[in-house]
Amino acid sequence: MAEVILFFGSNADTMIATKTLKDAGVTAKMIPKPANVATTSNLCLSIDAGAETQAKSALSTAGVALGGVVK
Amino acid sequence: MKMSLRVRLLGTIIGAILVFFIVSVAAARLVLQRDLIDLGKTEVTNGGSAFGGYWDSRKDQIRLLVAQDALSDAVRKSIQTSNYAALGDQLSNVARTSGLSFLTVVDANGNVIARANGPQRGSLKSDPLIQRALTGETVSTATLLDPAFLNGEGLAPQAQSDIKDAAGKVTEHVDKGLALVSAAPISDQNERTIGAVYGGILMNHYYDLVDQAKRALGGDSALLDGDAIVAGTIPQPDGTRAVDVAVVPAADVIKSGQPFTGEDVQGGTRYLVHVDPIVNDQNTVLGARWYGIPLQQTTDIINHTTQTLVLWGVVAMIIALALAIPIVQALSKTLASRSHQIRDAAKELEVIIVGSEVSGDHVAATKAVVEKSGEVISQIAAGQTGKIAELKTLNDELQGDMIVIDTLSQEMSVRMKQAVDRVEELNDVAGGLNQLVTGETG
Repeated sequence: MAEVILFFGSNADTMIATKTLKDAGVTAKMIPKPANVATTSNLCLSIDAGAETQAKSALSTAGVALGGVVK
Repeated sequence: MKMSLRVRLLGTIIGAILVFFIVSVAAARLVLQRDLIDLGKTEVTNGGSAFGGYWDSRKDQIRLLVAQDALSDAVRKSIQTSNYAALGDQLSNVARTSGLSFLTVVDANGNVIARANGPQRGSLKSDPLIQRALTGETVSTATLLDPAFLNGEGLAPQAQSDIKDAAGKVTEHVDKGLALVSAAPISDQNERTIGAVYGGILMNHYYDLVDQAKRALGGDSALLDGDAIVAGTIPQPDGTRAVDVAVVPAADVIKSGQPFTGEDVQGGTRYLVHVDPIVNDQNTVLGARWYGIPLQQTTDIINHTTQTLVLWGVVAMIIALALAIPIVQALSKTLASRSHQIRDAAKELEVIIVGSEVSGDHVAATKAVVEKSGEVISQIAAGQTGKIAELKTLNDELQGDMIVIDTLSQEMSVRMKQAVDRVEELNDVAGGLNQLVTGETG
């Protein structure tokens, strides 16, 4: 199953995004930041590629700023 | 419409200043109007008294002139010698030089023997003033001259007029003449009364007295025969004098004999007026003296003062706002800073609450992986060597989880410390807000 990585501006935003996605029914796994992701946060979220749109929508609704997506 | 606290504070200050300003101007205007009207009433009352002084002075002047004529040797000699032509010339000269409207001499029976205004004869024995003069009394008073006397003196055209109301409609016809007169006895060397001198000034359409009062007192003045203006200085819009018009407030003065002070409109101008009754020496009301000042003068003062108040009020408001705005700005900045502190504190608390849940979930997931890893190790120990690759994957995942847990742990630790700091700041903010609202430092 293909996965995408969501990254954020800070570890705090990553934690809040995890909770937001959980509440929205999107399974997200917190992982260390891959070497190829440029962000100040040490943590990222890994989600199923099929849930990307739903995840973005949930984050946007909750007002959580998404730093970017790595596929 | 959502307004910022700064806008609301400034709006409240500006609103309060405006309300204070408007109420102050309205109150000042009201008080000023009342006080100026009261002052104006005092002024017209004093002016009316002064006009009365000119009236009395003119009456005394006539009395003096007539008394002097009665004592004149030339007059007495002309009577005793029946030289009535010479007497007429003398009377004519005196009347012309002294400004009298008429000057007449009667004999001891009240028959006219000479007039300043012509050779007409006649009898004045029924005239009560002449009767009193022939008894030796010098009389000086205001009176209404009847048409017969006026005709005899050739003064009827000066006295007659149609009186109009404010709408220009003729309401009455005046044929009597308001006059200041004096009568004095003429005696021979033995102090026997041989006649009398009767003289005076007809006030109808006679403007010398009212013009003199206007020059000295300002304002406008008028003499009323009954309730009608027969001489005055009141200008009409076309510049001519307003005469032969009825004065509404004067009707009550004529009836009651009491003076009136209040508003009147004459010649299209609103006046504050004082109307005094004119009485004869028997205290019968004959007419009135009207003295007024245009209300426009008062209105101009009120408007000028109001404009000055408004102008300086605006200046004061600008100064007040110039002082208040920086204070409000500083206060707003303080409140905004406090607001940011509260928002930051809320953010920290949210991160801690969310972080604890996320951390709990992650630890549980890691625990599950550890258990799975244990199962795989047991299977490998039992000889299922094909599970080594799966164990490696689980091991990698566990390594990542440990990094995440470590990161979360550090993050939560930092956030907890920040939250403690924020709570202290919140206490400070709460104290500051309490001081701002109640003024209490505790």
